[in-house]
Amino acid sequence: MQQILVIARQTFKEAVRNKILFVFIILGLTTICCSVFMPVVGDGREKIKIVESMCFRSITFFGTLAAILLSASSIPTDIENGVLSTVTTKPVQRTTIILGKIIGFIYIIGVLLIVMGGVSYALIKFTALKQSHQGNSELMVRDQFDPDTLQITGEPTRKIGNVSWIEGGGKGSSVWKFKGLYSKDRNDDLEIKADFLVESKKRYDWGIPVNIKIINHVTGKVLTESIEISRNKPGLLRLNGESLEGSGELTIVVSPENSGDYIGISSDSLRVFFGKKSFGYNFLKGLTIISFQFFLMVIIAVLGSTFLSLPVNILFCLFVFFCGNITDFMRDLSTVINVFETHEHEHGLSALMKKSNVFVILLDYVIRKPILLLSYILPDLRNFSVGKYFTDGINIPCKTVFMSFGYAVLYTFFCLPVSFVVFKRREMA
Amino acid sequence: MNNDIAIRTEDLTKAYKSFWGRRKILALDKLNIAIQKGEIFGLLGPNGSGKTTTLKLLLGLITPTDGRAYVLGKSTNDVAIKSKIGFLPEESCFYRFLNADETLDFYGQLFRIPGKERKLRINRLVEQAGLEFARKRPLRQYSKGMLRRIGIAQALINDPDLVILDEPTSGLDPIGTRETKDIILALKERGKTVLLCSHLLSDVQDICDRVAILDKGKLQLAGTIDELLSSKNVVEILIRNLPDEAIIEVETFIKEKKGEVISIKNSSGTLEDLFLKIHAANISNSKTDV
Ligand SMILES: Nc1ncnc2c1ncn2[C@@H]1O[C@H](COP(=O)(O)OP(=O)(O)OP(=O)(O)O)[C@@H](O)[C@H]1O
Ligand SMILES: [Mg+2]
Repeated sequence: MQQILVIARQTFKEAVRNKILFVFIILGLTTICCSVFMPVVGDGREKIKIVESMCFRSITFFGTLAAILLSASSIPTDIENGVLSTVTTKPVQRTTIILGKIIGFIYIIGVLLIVMGGVSYALIKFTALKQSHQGNSELMVRDQFDPDTLQITGEPTRKIGNVSWIEGGGKGSSVWKFKGLYSKDRNDDLEIKADFLVESKKRYDWGIPVNIKIINHVTGKVLTESIEISRNKPGLLRLNGESLEGSGELTIVVSPENSGDYIGISSDSLRVFFGKKSFGYNFLKGLTIISFQFFLMVIIAVLGSTFLSLPVNILFCLFVFFCGNITDFMRDLSTVINVFETHEHEHGLSALMKKSNVFVILLDYVIRKPILLLSYILPDLRNFSVGKYFTDGINIPCKTVFMSFGYAVLYTFFCLPVSFVVFKRREMA
Repeated sequence: MNNDIAIRTEDLTKAYKSFWGRRKILALDKLNIAIQKGEIFGLLGPNGSGKTTTLKLLLGLITPTDGRAYVLGKSTNDVAIKSKIGFLPEESCFYRFLNADETLDFYGQLFRIPGKERKLRINRLVEQAGLEFARKRPLRQYSKGMLRRIGIAQALINDPDLVILDEPTSGLDPIGTRETKDIILALKERGKTVLLCSHLLSDVQDICDRVAILDKGKLQLAGTIDELLSSKNVVEILIRNLPDEAIIEVETFIKEKKGEVISIKNSSGTLEDLFLKIHAANISNSKTDV
């Protein structure tokens, strides 16, 4: 343990003395502070949103870049310089070296995170304060509730993919049940966000009228509202939280007002935002998730450094980072390439491919299968993206924090032993 | 196992493979040596003969293709035994941003030497290396010879029983060379074992008890210096203050006895002696200046 810390401290010292840490801090802080000067359309809330999302973007970007560049270069540089060949002649296990390095990177990135996080927090608070002087609202964090169940009543609907279409004019309606809507302050705003697809036989200037009925089963109170939903802007309905009256349960019935109008819904197109949560706590959760992503990148970079040379390793890490952000795209791509599923009436090249010839098999084995495999092996880094929570002012569910933690642990469990084994066999020539 | 043996190799072989595993370089071919405890053993050979490869194998930095090696009675990948070994690599590689003190401290901590003891040793070693004037300078500002000196200091931080030195005198000035040789001899005095490799024959000749000569990865010769160098029918006589005519008489006398005179010349001393003399004079001058 003592040796691990010695190596960790050494790694940290190196990063401080060759000034790479400061470069990243300065770059990060510059972009963070630039967010204040971003032009904003809209009210003070928009301004805060911009600052928040810019802050998180810069922390994620520069943090990840630092994590990759520092941890991917450290061990290969040490090997190339021959320093590690001296260190390994001391009574130090090679696993100790790896662990020491990792802890050293954690120190470095921790400092980066604390500095950038602290400045971001101050900046966001400051912006919010300035806006509240102008009569605008404070930092708002709410819980997001996804529907518990969705029932579709009335006429049988058309279903395309996972989107169900409902016609208005009393022909059909969607019934959404929400549970667990509790808040300390019943006067908090309750916001309903309807993110539907819309289709109509008539032409509307703006959107189609939709009826929303909010039913509280405990009190029997029913509230009916009508909003317009357009093709590309989700409908928003803001209510006073009192309509809940402490029941914590709500049924929302949604249907288009007129026949000939259609809404396309899937199981989570209706969401409820409610409650007031501490911004600071949410901020901390966001930073925690980001730090898990940094840790994940460090683990992967260390794995790479046990057998790759410096430039190759940096490329490898950037590749993982890039592909980790587009895993679902990669999966889609591999379905596109899936030439075996061509349709009967096709001609030309695709028809040719229908028969399994050498080319098709080659394509399958050289491109499609590897891409698919890669998309499952690589970490899905979108699990770690917290920007969306801050732009919408949503409380990050603890589940998300645990998920990202689990993700980091999972990869650690797979990558670290491999690093140990590979590094043990590595020749320090 | 024999307890007096510090290092033993059995058919130690190393072939470097290229990345694709095809082109092989046989760097070391079936080396068998045994090094006694308490002796200074020199490994000689031309460039690329496999000296460094041998040392790396002994330290477990690289894995042998074939054969075995035992160091202080243990296999080479035993980590614990390394606390008794000091190693000076061929090239002086250190963390460039650390200064001399920090470098020695770093290695001392890796050996788990307690703080107080570590400080004492560092002071002594820095002094021994003659680097007090530069101990707070980062190593990236060091000259080659200075790095060599800190390298030797680093190899001795754990007061090792076995010291392995790869070309200890390369890059050192004559005084440094002399000092290093003295350090090595002092180690022997204290019962330590030293394995060094070099292609500077004079270095080796001065201090080594036994040598092995490698060429193209193969052991060519091994034995004590005297064994290897003594030629039984050549005698050297050093004479002082003999008049010239007496020299001629001696020469004719030798011829009468059917001996063959190979050369007669004035003893000239070595450049090393001259260098040391000048440096010594400088030191005494600068002392009187102060
Ligand atoms: N990492 C390596 N990969 C491939 N070949 C190597 C490697 N290191 C050394 N060799 C080869 O092994 C042989 C022996 O090298 P080694 O470094 O042991 O020589 P040496 O006796 O120490 O020479 P020198 O006096 O120049 O230091 C050489 O032919 C060299 O080319
Ligand atoms: Mg060598």
